[in-house]
Amino acid sequence: MAIDPVPLNREVEDLLRRCVECGLCLPHCATWLGTGNEVNSPRGRLVLLRDLLNRPGNEAPQAYLEAFDLCIGCRACETACPSGVPFSLLERGQELAMARLERKPGRQAGVPGGEFLLRHLDSKSFLKTAGKAGGVARRVLAALAGNEWRKKLDSGPAGSLVRLLGTMPTAPGTDSELQLLLDRKCGRERHVCGNSAAVGAKAAKPPGDLEPRVAFFTGCANGGLLSATSRRLVELLTAAGCEVVLPTGQDCCGALASHTGRPGRAAALRRENQAAFAPYLTGRTRILVEAAGGGLEMKETSEEGLAARISDAVVLLAELDLPPLGEVPLRVAYHDPCHARHGQGIVAEPRQLLRRIPGLELVEPTEPEVCCGSGGAWGLTHPELSARLARRKAADLAATGADLVVTSNPGCLGQIADGLALEDPGLPILPLTDLLWYAWRCANGCAQENVAGSGR
Amino acid sequence: MMDMAGQENLLVRLRGILGTDGLLVDEAARQVYARDASHLTLGRPLAVALPATEAEAAAVLAACSEAGIPVVCRGTGTGLSGGAVPPEGAVVLATSRLDRIGPVVARANRVRCEPGVLNSRVTLHASAHGLHFAPDPSSQSTATIGGNIAENAGGPHCLRHGVTLQHLHGLQWCDARGRRLATGRHLPAERGFDLTSLLCGSEGTLGLVTAAELALVPDPAEVATLLAFFPVLDDATAAVVELLGAGLLPVAVEIVDQAMLLAVEEAFAFGFPTDVEAAMICEFAGSPEDVAEDGARAEALLTAGGARRVHLAADADERLELWKCRKKAFGAVGRLAPSYVTMDVVVPLAELPPLVRRIQAIKAMHGVEIATAFHAGDGNLHPGVHYDNRSEEDTRRAHAAADAIIRTALARGGSCTGEHGVGLEKIHVLPWQIDRETARLQQEIKMLFDPDNLLNPGKLLPPLESEFAGLPPVPRGVDFAWESLTVTAPAGTRLARIQTRARERGLWIPVGVFGDAPPGGMGGGGTVADLVNHLLPGPALLPGGSGRDFLLELWAATGDGRPFHCGAPVFKNVAGYDLTRALCGSAGRFVRPLAATFQLRPAPETAAMFRFETDFEAPGFEAGLAGLLSFLDRVASGTAGSSCILDQVTGTITVAIAGRDRDWDLGRWPGCLAGIWPDLELRQKRQVPFSRSSDLLTGDLLPAWVLNSPRWSFQAPLPGRGDETVAPAGKTRLIWQGKPRLWWVPDHESPAAGWHSEPFLATGEFSPLSEPDSAVPRDFLRGLKRIFDPRNELGGPDWLIGGRHGD
Repeated sequence: MAIDPVPLNREVEDLLRRCVECGLCLPHCATWLGTGNEVNSPRGRLVLLRDLLNRPGNEAPQAYLEAFDLCIGCRACETACPSGVPFSLLERGQELAMARLERKPGRQAGVPGGEFLLRHLDSKSFLKTAGKAGGVARRVLAALAGNEWRKKLDSGPAGSLVRLLGTMPTAPGTDSELQLLLDRKCGRERHVCGNSAAVGAKAAKPPGDLEPRVAFFTGCANGGLLSATSRRLVELLTAAGCEVVLPTGQDCCGALASHTGRPGRAAALRRENQAAFAPYLTGRTRILVEAAGGGLEMKETSEEGLAARISDAVVLLAELDLPPLGEVPLRVAYHDPCHARHGQGIVAEPRQLLRRIPGLELVEPTEPEVCCGSGGAWGLTHPELSARLARRKAADLAATGADLVVTSNPGCLGQIADGLALEDPGLPILPLTDLLWYAWRCANGCAQENVAGSGR
Repeated sequence: MMDMAGQENLLVRLRGILGTDGLLVDEAARQVYARDASHLTLGRPLAVALPATEAEAAAVLAACSEAGIPVVCRGTGTGLSGGAVPPEGAVVLATSRLDRIGPVVARANRVRCEPGVLNSRVTLHASAHGLHFAPDPSSQSTATIGGNIAENAGGPHCLRHGVTLQHLHGLQWCDARGRRLATGRHLPAERGFDLTSLLCGSEGTLGLVTAAELALVPDPAEVATLLAFFPVLDDATAAVVELLGAGLLPVAVEIVDQAMLLAVEEAFAFGFPTDVEAAMICEFAGSPEDVAEDGARAEALLTAGGARRVHLAADADERLELWKCRKKAFGAVGRLAPSYVTMDVVVPLAELPPLVRRIQAIKAMHGVEIATAFHAGDGNLHPGVHYDNRSEEDTRRAHAAADAIIRTALARGGSCTGEHGVGLEKIHVLPWQIDRETARLQQEIKMLFDPDNLLNPGKLLPPLESEFAGLPPVPRGVDFAWESLTVTAPAGTRLARIQTRARERGLWIPVGVFGDAPPGGMGGGGTVADLVNHLLPGPALLPGGSGRDFLLELWAATGDGRPFHCGAPVFKNVAGYDLTRALCGSAGRFVRPLAATFQLRPAPETAAMFRFETDFEAPGFEAGLAGLLSFLDRVASGTAGSSCILDQVTGTITVAIAGRDRDWDLGRWPGCLAGIWPDLELRQKRQVPFSRSSDLLTGDLLPAWVLNSPRWSFQAPLPGRGDETVAPAGKTRLIWQGKPRLWWVPDHESPAAGWHSEPFLATGEFSPLSEPDSAVPRDFLRGLKRIFDPRNELGGPDWLIGGRHGD
């Protein structure tokens, strides 16, 4: 990577001066919480960056690079910082250390087969296949080791592979599966609504200016692994009076490519998406992104005309006049994806949405701002710490006494599901939009279908 | 310093104790742990130890002690005085993995935790029980309990509730050699040299705290937070003096000046006006009636005092928002200048307005920018002098201005540090404040606890060659500083005289409600010396823990007649070891008090005390007791306090309350009390105005054993006379409550309390996690006795120097 040291250093130095080393970032940083080592804290990393800039010669100790590499990129420090130190400084630190050590960007995978995974994580077709294979593997393990297979096999010889399977983002593949899960949680014996896509009351009559056209960005993880969730979201949006279109030629947002040190591929993906969405940059069209990480990447790297139209699914739903929602008498905890909470400032919207569901009690974990340790590809490159953070997050969510956890990013979904499988196997996690879809269906009163007879 | 081979041997040994994961020796760790929030550095540490258990921590200390390598203990490095900065080649022992927290003992308002637990986590942990940990430094989201104890941390809400020391029941700690010890405050009535007071605020120079038993404070029923904007800064400071002088006791009074307000506004855009010279946050807490009344009075006073706009926070969210503005002020100054010195001076309240004016003058004189946020109610200021550290001239001017501010504060009877500690930053300043004899005593204490000078060397203790301040003249008469809310008096002054005069102004030293005579057997009719020597035990401990909490300054003479002076007439002071508090209650066997300064607080309107018989087995007793306690908690969160003794041996309950008249409106008392107090109505007649409360004094109200036991221990209590104690019948249950303390002894033989066991403190004292070597604190106590009274001229029984009574 070509780095011109002089302007970089001056800019970095000026920003660094803002850090007063107060340490208020520490308890918000997952890697500090997970290791208790201040080197792995935002303040510690900035101390190292300052030292790098002041060092005579052009050297950088290997340990410095490791400290920067360990950063998940959750940006919780940026939200916590009272002095306005930007997160980008930490990225600059990594770049600088890499340049000095003449290291190529890219990360070492910490799991078997991980290198291959890292290269193909952003391929929708690969993920579709992997998702199917993973699903089969999970069912086989469940058949062999029982429902708590994840817990039983955790310390076994193939622990890291088991964890890989455990963290694979999943959501119920069929509507009846989702309904069955939530009906049971709600203590309902039977479906209170049907499972035909045609069913569903529309919103009364949305006022003209609240009827946007939505260009749907499918993303690699959502499109590849959670396509049923995406379909349900489209149903819900349609019921809310939106015209949903699916631009062809779109691909992954490029976040995984740039995180795994493939800037060329990231740029190519950006160009493809730019071309795919170009025809839709008219009128009041919004570009909807389901995954928080994808939304942030596209907001930050797309051309202005495109970036300005990008909207997180949760934010868009919160703005809409939704069709009537039925009662869901559950205690629900929401997990904030870092790229929503810290990256895009999305805090109130998901909570407002959940509060709209009658009978639902929203509970808050004690550390809503702390990363779950997924971090896209980060979890693959730092499996041990990632697993520790997943359990920490799961324990915090379980301590709320919730019946259900919801979130809005596929990486977090898989990571927390894996943590919960170890900490509290009875507590499920779902995409927020799936819960919303269920509540909408519950309002329909199309009650009479029997659980046993529906679905597969 | 040792050679390479010696260092390598130590690292091998440490790795054996901690594993590779627990010992950091890489360049990154040595760079990061060389610093804390003070921007001061000495050198790079040899290694960083991250022990995960008390045993590992003790083993690290033992290994370093044997190798002769210094150890610097560290929480999260949020200190501002350089206390956690290691010298070159030291081992940093960071407590971040010692982060377990025990169950909340709800009825005793206590929780036990390890030193790496973050301050804010304690409150989070206790919130389900309606309790919180009162000390709230601005860094509370990050700062650790261990660091809070090392620095005796304060925070805005310490105005009402006191600093960290006042929220400690006991400590478990390791000395320099890694020996595990426990020191507890069995009761406020414990007499002897108070090691807890000595350790708290000792900045890691005497030992490593490995667990602490913390006192929790009940959440108030109601909180009112006022935000006032003052066009003139001088009006704001004057209004604070006025407010507290009017008998109001807010939980916190904070001021930020215009420069700070601008920085905070720029950072967070709260929408505050920036054309005013000061913004004030003033918070009241207590019962809804008290809060409404106090809030209205304060609003009127502030408006009359020149506030342009007084705004009452509408709800809890808005209140938190206001506090966020204050608590993030420190970080926000990063936007003002590349570098700054944050000071921490504290002055008597009446000196606050002149000091703030003087700071404006210093600012102009030295040509520097200063932004100030301060705990105004405590007289504790945090002026931050901004400068550009790239310019030598700028740096020199900033430090000259800082020194000028400190000298001004000292000249006005203040202290150089109220919260941040001496550390590295103020070690050159401390000699301006303390006399040589006090410095010598502190140095000897350090030598006793850490003879090889390995624990945090170079901090807190100025070299004895320094030029020290002279001994301030010993006061010859009683001096009331009404505006500063303090009273200074010679040791022979009768307490009754002080209290009577103070009450004429609606003030008192909050001890000894029920008559001003000290406890029986101590003679002399109750003097200042008695209060210093013995503490006042009994329900008189309203509303705080004991006389110790209100003793600010002490002149005393050692056993061999050398006079010294410690403390200052200010509400917060962490300049050196807290000898004032450590000697308070030492029964006259360590030093001879010569004179003392106490804090005055608003006196309660009414005080009363009852003792009544009850049937502890009656149905409804438990519910009635719970109701009584929760009621007393509510009263205690107001201006006054309450206490309660349950004595199952005599079958009696003793309740004492000092508060407002309406606290005696029995209609407000919980109905469930009838379960333990069927003839509640009749008792109302015992209420008397506070000024005549001594009429209530009947010596026999207090069980004699409370007064006369030389040292309470729940293991060998109770009824008896003098130094005799008689083992109680098997059924003694006892609750003792004065805000925020409460002790409870179950009637069964107590199991050793572990981390997640007994809801009640089994033995009434700090239950160690592991068995400490109890002989060691006795050695220290004997050593302390030799330091203060080398020829044993003050005498004293064995229990005073470490033997448990009856050993």
